[in-house]
Amino acid sequence: MKIKINGVDKTLDVDPEMPLLWALRDVLGLTGTKYGCGEALCGACTVHLDGHAVRACVTPVRRAEGRAVTTIEGLSPDGNHPLQQAWVELRVPQCGYCQAGQIMTAAALLAAKPKPTDADIDQSMAGNICRCGTYTRIRAAIKKAAGTPDDAGSK
Amino acid sequence: MKATRRAFVAGLGAGLCVGAMPRASRADEPSSRAGNVAPPRDTGKGGLSPHVLIHIALDGTTTIVCHRSEMGQGVRSSLPVLIGDEIGVDPARVIVRQAEGDKKYGDQDTDGSSSIRKQYDGYREAGAAARMMLIAAAATRWKVKPDSCTTENHFVIHKPTNRSLAFADVVEAASKLPVPKKNIVLRPIAELKRVADPNLPLIDGVAFVTGTAQFGADVRFPDMLVAVIARPPVVGGHVAKYDATRALAVPGVKKVIEMPVPKPPWLFQPWGGIAVVAENTWAALKGRAALDITWEHGANASYNSDAYREQLLDSVRAPGTTHRDLGNIDTAFTKAAKTVEAEYVVPHLAQMPMEPPVAVARFTNGRAEVWAPTQNPQANRTDVAKLLGLAEEKVTINVTLLGGGFGRKSKSDFVVEAAYLAKHVGDGRPVRVQWLREDDIKQGYYNAVSAQRLRAALDDNGNVTAWHHKTAFTPIGGTFDAKIDTPAAGDLQQGVTDVALAAPNVRAESCKAPLHTRIGWYRSVYNIFHAFAIGSFIDEIAHARGADPRDAWLDVIGPARKLSLAELGIPKLPNYDETLDKHPVDAGRLRNVIKRVTDIANWSNRQGRALGLAAHRSFVSYTAVVISVVPDPVRVFRIDDAWISMDSGTVVNKDRVHAQMEGGLIMGISNALYGGVTMTNGVTDQTNYRDARVARMRDIPHRIHTDLVASTEPPSGVGEPPVPPVGAALANAIFALTGKRLREIPLAKALKI
Amino acid sequence: MLDNAAAARDEIWARRFLAALAENRVSRMRRLLLVLIVASCGGKQSSFTETATLRRAGPNELLPVTDFEVIRDRAPRSRALFGEVARVLVHPRCSNCHPSGDTPHQRMTMELHDPSVVRGPQDNGVAGMECTTCHQDRNQELTRVPGAPKWHLAPIEMAWVGKSVSYICKQIKDPKRNGGKTLAQLVEHNGHDELVAWGWAPGADREPAPGTQPQLGALTAAWVETGAECPEESR
Repeated sequence: MKIKINGVDKTLDVDPEMPLLWALRDVLGLTGTKYGCGEALCGACTVHLDGHAVRACVTPVRRAEGRAVTTIEGLSPDGNHPLQQAWVELRVPQCGYCQAGQIMTAAALLAAKPKPTDADIDQSMAGNICRCGTYTRIRAAIKKAAGTPDDAGSK
Repeated sequence: MKATRRAFVAGLGAGLCVGAMPRASRADEPSSRAGNVAPPRDTGKGGLSPHVLIHIALDGTTTIVCHRSEMGQGVRSSLPVLIGDEIGVDPARVIVRQAEGDKKYGDQDTDGSSSIRKQYDGYREAGAAARMMLIAAAATRWKVKPDSCTTENHFVIHKPTNRSLAFADVVEAASKLPVPKKNIVLRPIAELKRVADPNLPLIDGVAFVTGTAQFGADVRFPDMLVAVIARPPVVGGHVAKYDATRALAVPGVKKVIEMPVPKPPWLFQPWGGIAVVAENTWAALKGRAALDITWEHGANASYNSDAYREQLLDSVRAPGTTHRDLGNIDTAFTKAAKTVEAEYVVPHLAQMPMEPPVAVARFTNGRAEVWAPTQNPQANRTDVAKLLGLAEEKVTINVTLLGGGFGRKSKSDFVVEAAYLAKHVGDGRPVRVQWLREDDIKQGYYNAVSAQRLRAALDDNGNVTAWHHKTAFTPIGGTFDAKIDTPAAGDLQQGVTDVALAAPNVRAESCKAPLHTRIGWYRSVYNIFHAFAIGSFIDEIAHARGADPRDAWLDVIGPARKLSLAELGIPKLPNYDETLDKHPVDAGRLRNVIKRVTDIANWSNRQGRALGLAAHRSFVSYTAVVISVVPDPVRVFRIDDAWISMDSGTVVNKDRVHAQMEGGLIMGISNALYGGVTMTNGVTDQTNYRDARVARMRDIPHRIHTDLVASTEPPSGVGEPPVPPVGAALANAIFALTGKRLREIPLAKALKI
Repeated sequence: MLDNAAAARDEIWARRFLAALAENRVSRMRRLLLVLIVASCGGKQSSFTETATLRRAGPNELLPVTDFEVIRDRAPRSRALFGEVARVLVHPRCSNCHPSGDTPHQRMTMELHDPSVVRGPQDNGVAGMECTTCHQDRNQELTRVPGAPKWHLAPIEMAWVGKSVSYICKQIKDPKRNGGKTLAQLVEHNGHDELVAWGWAPGADREPAPGTQPQLGALTAAWVETGAECPEESR
């Protein structure tokens, strides 16, 4: 199967039902996308498929055939996507394990809604779990990247 | 405001280790790009090595070892900063090296909120000794007195003349000097500039957001195998028979073997079961699903958590072992004007870090090498050596980043599994043992399940004259010794015997709770349920008295004072391995955080708002929490605001302490709302985040107000203390909103949400 | 004999029954009774006698079209046929994605979907949490996620949860609320649509909708053929 991954054409010779997560990690060595639950419940495995957020742990590789996949490694050439910058500046991560998935989901949100409201953030980020509890900083970093005011005081 | 590129790059420069850049990997090293650096084989000839944690090379490059595991608490961004500040480094010249497991580094068991508090003085002395040696070398060259010199930004400076010498220029001379062992001069705290910087960057920040940070499963080798293990569903069960025919037919599956069967006491032995070893994770998963296994479940198959709950309540209603005794509660209760009593139940809790347990091991030429996200690499080394029959020198435990630990990863079971398979099926190839989320939930070292009974006698003025606390919980000791079935004094130090009370009559008893599961520790451990009970109970006392809960808290605790053992009514207190001199039971500090948090929450003007308050001392720190809830048409309530005040003494890296407060508060909400794993016929019922729910963004207010007490007291715990009071604060807020008193976790169950 | 008061009781009873059905507590006998009540809501006494001979359906079984031939009058037979079609529609496997709000339901208990997802402007979620972020074109076995082609929510005008069978019937016939379908297209949709098909092959350990899709198609066709009559609302 031919898939474009982070802008590079790759040919994958694997079980077409293999979840994209394992193709990325085990076969291609792109380990930035994480395994958290394997059942699309936590969002740690979020990547983009033709720009749309998908959970790689349940997406069979065949779904990506002939299409473009973007992982955290390919979100920006040198880590300077506004979300990545905001994440670093606000020191969002604690253990860091969920953050690739958080950022990829947030990137999909910003691509669709450059100035998201708190309600937009609630809805789009609802599916990404963080056990360390960085949710408030994630919200603030999304707003920082979007250039929207951080008027948390909103009830 | 958008971060400018310049600001971003500046942020990169300050405090980032040079080794964050990808480096060419060697054939025998893991080939993934790493945010942290593998142990360098050669730090260069010569250089200054005054302490196992510090090396300054001849060119001035300074390697500071982080010997504690990074699991989100920020130790890699704090500990080396403390040492580096004491030395006087330029952060851009520093490489932070993650230590392998070795006794030479001292204590590496990263739990108990102890990385800073237990070794703070030692770290500073290590850095100070290095500084003194560099200064001595420069002072000799300049022919000046050492105490007229200082260090800053990788230079030794002669203050009167402003002459300076780079570290590189003096390090060789310094390395010939004896390492000072006494009269170590620490810098004034005000000179520890980066330690005090509220905007200290994360050393691995860029790696996290670019996907280059190396966690356990990210360690890759070209010839690596992947194993997934079907473990006995019931603790103590084993394989009766199995058929691997279908599993072996799955493309990519290489071998199927049986794991060794553990014998009680469980300690941290692997669980047993059948391992499917394959070329990649997907094949291993499919292989495991294709196994046909008949289990012999064993005695714990009779364990049902519903029935056990009743058993615990019976236990806590019966007489127990007294560990705290003051005055005469029996007399006091007969004279009570009013009695308040309540029972509280908290189930087993599972840690569920985002990264499930995983380990990579390789066994070649009689040596074992392991890469694992482990909290306790020295214990891993001992356990792997024992299992493989090797001397410890032949075992290397490399510590990767941890995607959360919370106590789960301080157990060797998942590390030993990988070592076993590396030896028995690896054939020289590295083997990764991958735990699935379901494995993590179903086979875990759960936090103890508990039932508590609290009784208070009130006089006519509503003062508590007698306080009787009975607690039944499965003690961790039972994991080490199968005969242990009752909590001991050392267990009750967590939130029962160290509680400041004004009441002149106090008794605390521990009651029987035999184990049927593996019990481990989970971020703040027994404090979770003790603080839930006490925090709710004081609120109930307030309600019974018609008093404001804040007033009730301050009355129940009593005046600011440091309580002696006699005043507590106990013969001794382990006190989290601290002396009572250094870390007393300080009612004043507890009162202080209660006052602070209620101030910032505008508690006194809370008409119409539903606020809940609770406070707790744990790991020798003091925390108070206020939570505000509002009605929600679908889910009964929503948390719209939260405040947390913490006094953890002297701190290193304020921002990480604030982050621990935010994160601990969120974890406390998660525990209270959704926490709990249950068992039916010995098998854990929950499977994944669908039924072992955790707090998500929608459960959390948009901002959490964190208040850190500026203190010069000795450092105390940071990672765990934010958690214990949260559950009660939430339950109390829900009571304020709905009039419904919830005494059992998970709260979501009673609220049907 | 049925009168307005009884009909009102029936309606309340039917609603409660639907709720109970959703919670999977319904016995076979009560299923049969629903068919009787729905069929008789038109108030014709003669049909009541005739429906008394309808066979009991097994818990996951749909009565075949031929069974309804015992109801000789066209209109009551039509209503009874829709009652049987409705057994599929109100089954949680189907109704879960026909919510009255902006969140799908899950499981036989019809709790709100967790993780929290919302309808979005095109009934397929919002950026980052689109339906197809997680749901694939077919059920994933090892990972349990249900899937079918074009997984999405029924538009709000096709909401069924909390609605009476009578209401659903009128809604499903209304081209303004059924996606512009003619009755013939409705028959085709029920009998052949890929996403509808999922209801009978939900994967994992999920209980399927009653009967089979071809049976639903046949019942729908028979209902249309008999005039597509709708049960009356009880007052």
